[in-house]
Amino acid sequence: MFETLALNAPSWSDLRHFVPETVLVVTFLLALMADLFARGRRPAGPFALALGGCLVALAAAVSSLPAGPRSILGDLVVVDGLAGFFRVLFPLIGAITILFSWASGEIMGPRREHKGEFYALVALMAFGMCVMASAADLIMLYLSVELVSLTSYVMAGYMRTSLRSTEASLKYVIFGSVSSGVMLYGLSLLFGLTGETTFVEIRAALLAGRADNFALLVAMVFVLAGLGYKIAAVPFHFWCPDVYEGAPTPVTALFSVGPKAAGFALMIRFFYTTLLSPGGGQAAAGAAAPDGVIVGPADWPLLIAILSVVTMTYGNLVALRQTNVKRLLAYSSIAHVGYLLMGFLMLTAAGLEAILFYLLVYAIMNLGAFLFVIALNNRLGGEEISDYAGLSTRAPWVALMMMVFLLSLTGLPPTAGFIGKMYLFAEVINRHWFWLAVVGALNSVVSLFYYMKIAKAMYFTPGERAPLRLEPLHTAVLILLAAPTLALGVYWTPFKNFVDRAVAGFAGLGG
Amino acid sequence: MNAGLEHFLTVGALLFGLGVFAVLTRRNAVGLLMGVELILNAANLNFAAFARYVEHGIDGQVLAAFVIVLAAAEAAVALAIVLAMFRNFGTVHVDAVDRLRR
Amino acid sequence: MSGDLAFYGFAALTVLSAFYVVFSRNIVHAGFSLLFTLFGVAGLYAMLAADFLAATQVIVYIGGVLVLILFTVMMTRIPRRGAGGRGLDRFVPAGVFALLLFALLYKVITGTPWAEKAPVSADPTTARLGASFLTDFVFPFEFVSLILLAAMIGAAILIRDRRPAADDGAGGAAAPTGEEERS
Repeated sequence: MFETLALNAPSWSDLRHFVPETVLVVTFLLALMADLFARGRRPAGPFALALGGCLVALAAAVSSLPAGPRSILGDLVVVDGLAGFFRVLFPLIGAITILFSWASGEIMGPRREHKGEFYALVALMAFGMCVMASAADLIMLYLSVELVSLTSYVMAGYMRTSLRSTEASLKYVIFGSVSSGVMLYGLSLLFGLTGETTFVEIRAALLAGRADNFALLVAMVFVLAGLGYKIAAVPFHFWCPDVYEGAPTPVTALFSVGPKAAGFALMIRFFYTTLLSPGGGQAAAGAAAPDGVIVGPADWPLLIAILSVVTMTYGNLVALRQTNVKRLLAYSSIAHVGYLLMGFLMLTAAGLEAILFYLLVYAIMNLGAFLFVIALNNRLGGEEISDYAGLSTRAPWVALMMMVFLLSLTGLPPTAGFIGKMYLFAEVINRHWFWLAVVGALNSVVSLFYYMKIAKAMYFTPGERAPLRLEPLHTAVLILLAAPTLALGVYWTPFKNFVDRAVAGFAGLGG
Repeated sequence: MNAGLEHFLTVGALLFGLGVFAVLTRRNAVGLLMGVELILNAANLNFAAFARYVEHGIDGQVLAAFVIVLAAAEAAVALAIVLAMFRNFGTVHVDAVDRLRR
Repeated sequence: MSGDLAFYGFAALTVLSAFYVVFSRNIVHAGFSLLFTLFGVAGLYAMLAADFLAATQVIVYIGGVLVLILFTVMMTRIPRRGAGGRGLDRFVPAGVFALLLFALLYKVITGTPWAEKAPVSADPTTARLGASFLTDFVFPFEFVSLILLAAMIGAAILIRDRRPAADDGAGGAAAPTGEEERS
C-alpha cells in the first residue's frame, strides 16, 4: 500500500534559507548542554553561548536578507522581506535581554537556580518568534505561538520562590491557554470553511467564494482573540499589567517587545495574506483605498480601527494612575499597540513600513526604559516612581538617558519615537482616516503626562544625594540603546530604506 | 436523523461552551485548566470532523494530532505552575493569589 | 442504524460528562468525569475514521494529561474544602455568556453551507498520517519535539529544587529586589 503514498519530503537544502533560525536552535541545545557542566554561581558557558548564538544569528540574518518570497520546508514556512526584517529584530532583542540579565539581581541573584536554562530559553524564544514571523500555514501558526507562549510562561515564573513571579506566570498561563484555545477553535472553523491550511490557499478558497461571510467573521474574530492576546490589545490585555509587574524585569523587557512584535508579524502575515488580495492598487482607486482588495467581510478594517482606539485610550488613561514604573510601562505598551494597529488597518505598503519602523524604534526605546528600571532595581530594590527622586543629582547621566527614552516613547523630537510616530500618522492622514489621527494625537498628549511623572521625580523631587553607581554592564548597554534612540531621530534614512526593502519583499502585498 | 458533519460540530460547540463556562466560573486553578482541555477537545473534534466531511480536508487529522501533543506540553507547564503556586501560596484558589495591584 | 446509535452514545457520554466536569463541586469528581469526556471524544474520532487520533487521544490525553491533572489535584488538595465556593453572582453572567456563545456557534454550524463531500469509505488513515509526518509535515514534527523539550525543561525550572532547601535560608545575601519570597 505504500506505493500509493506520495513521498515528497522537503529537501534539507531548504535549511540554506533558514540559517538564523537553525543557528538559534543549535544555540539553545548547546547552551542546555553547557549548563550541565556549568559550575558556580554564574554560568558563564550558557551565557556566552546564548549571547554568541544570538549574535551569529543576527549576523546571518543581516547578511542574507531575502530578496523575494520563497516557500520552504513543505510550503509551511515562507521566507520573504517581512520574515527577513523580523529575523534581524528578534536575535537582536534576545542578545540585549541576555546581556542585561547577566548583571540583574533578579535573574542572577544567589537565590536563583537554573540560570543556565534561562539563557537557553531566551534563544529558543527568539527562534519561536522568528518562526512566528515566517509561518505560512495554520499548523505553523499554532505551533509557533505555542512555543513562544510556553517559554514565556516559564520565564515569567522564573523566580519561583517569589510570590509575585509565581502569580505572574499563573495569570499568564491561564489567559494564554484560554485565548490560544479560542484561537484554535477559530482556526478549526476557518479550516472547515476552506478545507485548506496554507494561508495562500485559504485566500484562494475565499476568493472562489467557498466561504460564508458570517461564519468567516466569527472564525476571524476567534483568531483575533488569540493574536490580540499575544500583542496585548484591549480587550485581550487583562494578563498584561500583572504579568509585566510580577515577572523578573529583564523578562518583562523581553515580553514588552519580543512577543508583541512577533504577534504583529503573524497578524500582518495572516490577515494580509488571507483577507487581502494583491492587485487593487493605488493607481486604480486613489489615495483612500488600500493596496489590495479586501476579501471576505468588508468592514474588518473598521473593526480593527475600533480596537485600536479602545486599546490606546485605555492604555494611556490607566497608565496615568500608576505609581509602579513596571506597571506604568505595561499600560504604556498597551497604548503603543493601539498606535501600531492604526498602521495595520491601513492595508497599505506605506502603513506596513510605518509599523515595521515603529516596531524597530519601539524595541530600542522600550528595552532602554526597562533596562533603566532593571539597573536601578539592582541598586534601590524597588521600582516605584518615588524611588527615583533626586536621581538627576545621584546619577545625572543615567537620568539623562532615561529622559531620552521617555521623550522618545512620548514621540517628541529629536528622538526616534518622533520619526516613528510621524510615519504612522502621515499614512493615517494620507488615507483619510482623520478621526483616527485625531484620537491618536490626543492620546499622545495624554501619554506625555505620565511619562513626565517619571521625569519630574528624577529632576524636581528632592531625594537622597549620595551618588549612585550602576553595574558597568548596565551602563554600557544603556548607552548602546540611548545612542540609536537619539541618532535615529536625526538621521534615519538607512533604517527607513531597510524597512522599505523588507516591505517590498513581503509576499502578502504581492511583493 | 443520520449523524453527519453538523452533529459532530454541535458536540464540539457544546464542549466549547462548557469549557468557556468552566474557565469563567472555576476558581480552582486545576478546574480552570480542565475547562481549557474541553476547549481544546472542541477544536480538535472540529478538525477531525472537517477532515472527514469537507472537500480536501485530510490535513485536519494532522493538525489534530499536533494539537493533542501540544495539549500535553501545555498541561505539563501549566500544572507545574499550579504546583509552584501551591508551594508559595498554600492554595490553588486563583482569587487568593493577589499580590499584584489591580 | 448502528452507526447512529454509536454516535449518539458517544456524544451523550462526552457532553454529559463534560457537564459534570463543569458543574461538579468536587474537583476530584470533576477530574474523573473528564476521563469519560476524553474517552467519548476518542470514540467520536473513531467514528470519523480517525483511528490514529482515537488511539492518541487514549494514550496521550487519558494516559498522560489526565493522569497529570489528577496527580496535581491530589497533591494540592486542602482538606478543609473541596472545589471552593462559587457564588451565583458568577454563575449567571457566565452561563448567559456561554449560552450566547453556543447559540452563535450553532448558528454558524447550521447556517453555513459546508463544502461537504460524499463520505468516502472509512479506511484507516494511520499509514497516511505517518507518511505525512515524515514528508510534508516533517518540519512541524521536529518543531513539536522542541516544544516538548522546552516544556520539560520549563516544568523542571518551575518545580525542581536543585539544592536542598536548608541552604536556601536567610543567610544568603539576596539581591535587594524588595520581594516577598517563600522562605
